[in-house]
Amino acid sequence: MTTYILSLVFAVIWVAVTGSATLHNLIFGFALSTLSLWIVREQMSARGYWRRMGRILSLLVLFFKELALSAWKVAVLVMNPRMDLKPGIFAYPLTVDRDFEITLLANLITLTPGTLSVDVSEDRRTLFVHAIDCSDVEAVKRDIAAGFERKIMEAFR
Amino acid sequence: MTAAQMILSSALWLALVVLGLSFLLTVWRVIKGPTLPDRVVALDMLVGIVIGFIALIAIRTGFTLYIDIAISLGLVGFLATVAFARFILAQGRGDETVEEEVRPVVPAPPLAQKRKRASSRKPGAGPAVSGKAKK
Amino acid sequence: MIEVLIAVLTALLILVGAGFALVAAIGLTRLPDVYTRMHAASKAGTVGSGLMLLAVALHAGDLSTLARALAGFFFFVLTAPISAHLLAMAAHKRGYPLHEKSVRDELNDYRN
Repeated sequence: MTTYILSLVFAVIWVAVTGSATLHNLIFGFALSTLSLWIVREQMSARGYWRRMGRILSLLVLFFKELALSAWKVAVLVMNPRMDLKPGIFAYPLTVDRDFEITLLANLITLTPGTLSVDVSEDRRTLFVHAIDCSDVEAVKRDIAAGFERKIMEAFR
Repeated sequence: MTAAQMILSSALWLALVVLGLSFLLTVWRVIKGPTLPDRVVALDMLVGIVIGFIALIAIRTGFTLYIDIAISLGLVGFLATVAFARFILAQGRGDETVEEEVRPVVPAPPLAQKRKRASSRKPGAGPAVSGKAKK
Repeated sequence: MIEVLIAVLTALLILVGAGFALVAAIGLTRLPDVYTRMHAASKAGTVGSGLMLLAVALHAGDLSTLARALAGFFFFVLTAPISAHLLAMAAHKRGYPLHEKSVRDELNDYRN
């Protein structure tokens, strides 16, 4: 997945550096960076590059949907004249275990409605999440497990 | 003046007023506090609002180089927030008046115990050390 | 015609972005403790400034501006949760209390 992000970044850099901002140039830069990354594929060990692209894109789409929803929810909460909060920190048992995946999951959780990741336990099995509405913790946990965590497993395993 | 320009300029005026209002509200939070993290969160928010201002000015003047300025301001703001977070972690609760101002946490006894431990360890304990010693 | 459409879209993006910034600022003043305020600042604030950057890209209408604005947008969206997370962790480690209405604090239970 690093190669995918890298070639996209390289394409954008290519456009910025060459200064000619046309769609053709962007596509050309993308092709060029993909080619150059393909040449060094032995060092990068990038197998299943194309297969994962769809899954990563679907993760991205889900992320932006949740981001919009979350900003909207905060807006509704704040504009409500009688704020009825039940904030609290709950422990979320992690299924993903690699550092990269935990980081990604924590960041995604922070930008989803009503939750903010605070800390991870030292054995990396538990993520502590601050929620603005703790009245139904089990439902929030189920949402995270069925949404982001499953998608991350699909995209990076 | 065409219709497009009129729509854009009135939207810009309205947005500038709204952003000014949110700027003032955030400044009020910076001044009022009551704790150090509150102020840091408000300062972080101020950077976001100023980025909004820069974007509006970029549209108003048609000078798109302002985007680069916005990006570098975002970078500086992010680094400042990270530095502040490290500072809070290292320095601990410098403002002792906080304890009277803020009501106690949900499970009160464990926290009181923790605070005592934290203050007894304070001299010479760097942030990297205190992170491990916490357990 | 297309000019008016772009102007309307830009105006919409600007106004929605400014609205989210205002909502985040109101949340910052109204919410009761550090942790809940972070919710307002990190979500609504990021979306607000991000939308205004996208408005610049739409208004300029060339690809190099779009690339830079998108880079800026991704940068803000990626850094906002990191700084919020780091601040929350630092504040909690130093024992800044949750609001009294908070129903649970399992991190505190774990630490002790």
